[in-house]
Amino acid sequence: MPLLELEDVEARYGPIKALHGIALTVDEGQMVSLLGANGAGKTTTLRAISGIVRKSGKLQFAGKPLPRAADAIARLGIAHVPEGREIYGEMTVWENILVGSSFRRDRREARRDCEEVLEHFPRIKDRRRQQAGTLSGGEQQMLALARALVARPKLLLLDEPSLGLAPTVVSAFYEVVTRLNAETGLTVLIVEQNASIALDVTERAYVLEVGRVALEGSSDELKEHERVRSSYLGY
Amino acid sequence: MAQFWQQIVGGLAAGGIYSTLALALVLIHRATGIVNFAQGEMGMFSTFIAWSLIENHGMEYWLGFALVLLISFAGGAGIYGAVIRPLQRGGELAIVIATIALLILLNGLAGWIWTPEVKAFESPFPHSLITIGDVVISWQDVGTIIVSFACVLVVFLFFRLTRTGRPMRASALRPRTSRLMGIRVTLMLAVGWGLAAALSAVAGMMAAPVLALEPNFMLPVLVYAFAAAVLGGIDGPVGAVIGSYILGVGISLLSTYVNYITVAPELQLPVALAILLVILLFRPSGLFGRTVVRRV
Repeated sequence: MPLLELEDVEARYGPIKALHGIALTVDEGQMVSLLGANGAGKTTTLRAISGIVRKSGKLQFAGKPLPRAADAIARLGIAHVPEGREIYGEMTVWENILVGSSFRRDRREARRDCEEVLEHFPRIKDRRRQQAGTLSGGEQQMLALARALVARPKLLLLDEPSLGLAPTVVSAFYEVVTRLNAETGLTVLIVEQNASIALDVTERAYVLEVGRVALEGSSDELKEHERVRSSYLGY
Repeated sequence: MAQFWQQIVGGLAAGGIYSTLALALVLIHRATGIVNFAQGEMGMFSTFIAWSLIENHGMEYWLGFALVLLISFAGGAGIYGAVIRPLQRGGELAIVIATIALLILLNGLAGWIWTPEVKAFESPFPHSLITIGDVVISWQDVGTIIVSFACVLVVFLFFRLTRTGRPMRASALRPRTSRLMGIRVTLMLAVGWGLAAALSAVAGMMAAPVLALEPNFMLPVLVYAFAAAVLGGIDGPVGAVIGSYILGVGISLLSTYVNYITVAPELQLPVALAILLVILLFRPSGLFGRTVVRRV
């Protein structure tokens, strides 16, 4: 069953059109990646879904049209981990996590989720009282993920999580994401520059070129595809 | 020696008034990234409402006080919704200019509604004096210190302990990301403006019995609060409050022991401005300002 459906989605930054009619589907429990060069519209697609860019077209989540306001979209169960992680550097690690669950009304459960999420991230668990701005890039990425998870999302949007991180850190990060997907059935849509790791961890993929879907298919198919190999995998 | 302690208490009372207004300035600076030049006039307007309720309609003082805090809160949140938020797309300069316009508007409006005549605003505290040894202090000063400190404390506890405090800080730090976290950022920032308005109402109501109420009476208080906030660091609420007490006590002592200022009390305000300039030149983040450590 499709959890997220986009049809003919356009988006613009002021006078500049960034998306020219995107169509994509993410099924429940699936991991899907969105590939493409710089400026292809990957980040804008995520922003259109989470409501922080002006957009038009059909966007449906769990069979219903998405609301307009970004905060209302988030409360429906779409967690967007933005590019550059955007943690609250002046707050402690623990406070960052609490902020992620602050909209929830089931206070006790939310609190327990905050405690439990740290079990997935031993590195940041030891640093919960530390100012978040002092964490390393990899730890900040983990924190941004933990902060998104305590909202109990149905759909997780990850924007360039591997950017600027060492390869071992990147694989540790994706290990956590893959485990969450396998254990809890969390649906994930990933935007990545690093096409090879994205195709390894996801089942399906879309390739964007100048604001349009250029290719789509199973990740295994796309790995073999001539154009994907030469343009994005580099062999 | 007795005079010294009396001056300290008087300075702490003045510092308490500055601290409520300085904290309001810091709240707005953190929430919206600007200095609200209308903050003092918002307090002045609230004080006129309090005068109207208490002196004119005979309302019991503390009931009127509480009611004015509520009205001010609603007014501050309303100003955010009606004036500030629509301008946020236009950038910080547009908002700063709007606050200056608001300053002039509120000042003119108060003069028009209540006339520019000086009004007596009764103090809620007893007129008697407290004598400890040979030190004589007034209830007015002690009461002002207690009330202003209590209000500042309530705001701090609100931010530290309640569930609303944390998402409010988050909304101020990163509005867009906070929206992605399901936080109603607009509502949070409106609450921030409301709290700041209530704090400036406290400053006005505590200052009015000493300074006499008229439409311009908060302008010097605003300058002191600016100086105090800059002294302690405009980014930090704790620093701004400590800075307020340092400034209050410092000016009180200066005006007693430095002959030039004792002779000419009109030099007090320039001294505060001089402190402001010196701090801006040599330590722009303030005495207690900290630089945020960031690793990318």
